[in-house]
Amino acid sequence: MENLNATPPDNYLVWAIVTTVLCCLPLGIVAIVKSSKVNTLWAQGDYEGAQKESASARLFVILAASIGFIVQLLILVPFLIFVMGDILANY
Amino acid sequence: MQTTRKNILKALLPILVLGVLAFIYHSYNPSLATFYLPCPLYYTTDLYCAGCGSQRALHHLMHFEIGKAFGYNPFLVISIPLLIYAVVVQYVNFVWNTRFRVKLFYSNTFIVIYFGLAILYMILRNIEVEPFNFLAPR
Repeated sequence: MENLNATPPDNYLVWAIVTTVLCCLPLGIVAIVKSSKVNTLWAQGDYEGAQKESASARLFVILAASIGFIVQLLILVPFLIFVMGDILANY
Repeated sequence: MQTTRKNILKALLPILVLGVLAFIYHSYNPSLATFYLPCPLYYTTDLYCAGCGSQRALHHLMHFEIGKAFGYNPFLVISIPLLIYAVVVQYVNFVWNTRFRVKLFYSNTFIVIYFGLAILYMILRNIEVEPFNFLAPR
């Protein structure tokens, strides 16, 4: 069993940045803040706190991604209708 | 690192998904094809976000047209080496359940600088005046 205190918990920063940039959502920014808190707490030796922030960073990434996906769908439906109309009008 | 049948399955899945995506982005130019998803922010507000132009930049990068890719999204092109490194680390962790970490992502100085640059870049590329409009995707 590896020493759990040797490596910090995953801070999900990549996913936080990806969801923020791809969905332009405020929730992504919350995830980035949580990610940075993982780092701060870990550096202070608060391993339990870091673990907790890691879990909430994960939660916010999932929330941001799901809401982003729903928003995409809401935009996608009119977009697809528009594309289909365009294709039908040209043939 | 132990390799079992489950590892092999987990190793193949991302490669399959990324392979299909790479094939689509390589074969079809997002400037010409109609089926690519538009950026929700640009579609609704006509504003460019920091990621706008990424799909076109990716297409041209795959054809080794660095100059063209740079024109669409210089921020993405510069970030690509770091992105590939991060994705490989994530991939290894996913397949073998390891806990490798990208050191850079555990530095808050890096987060503030990188994210600050992204926001500054987003603001600048929306200014329609001579030196800044160069940053808009084109």
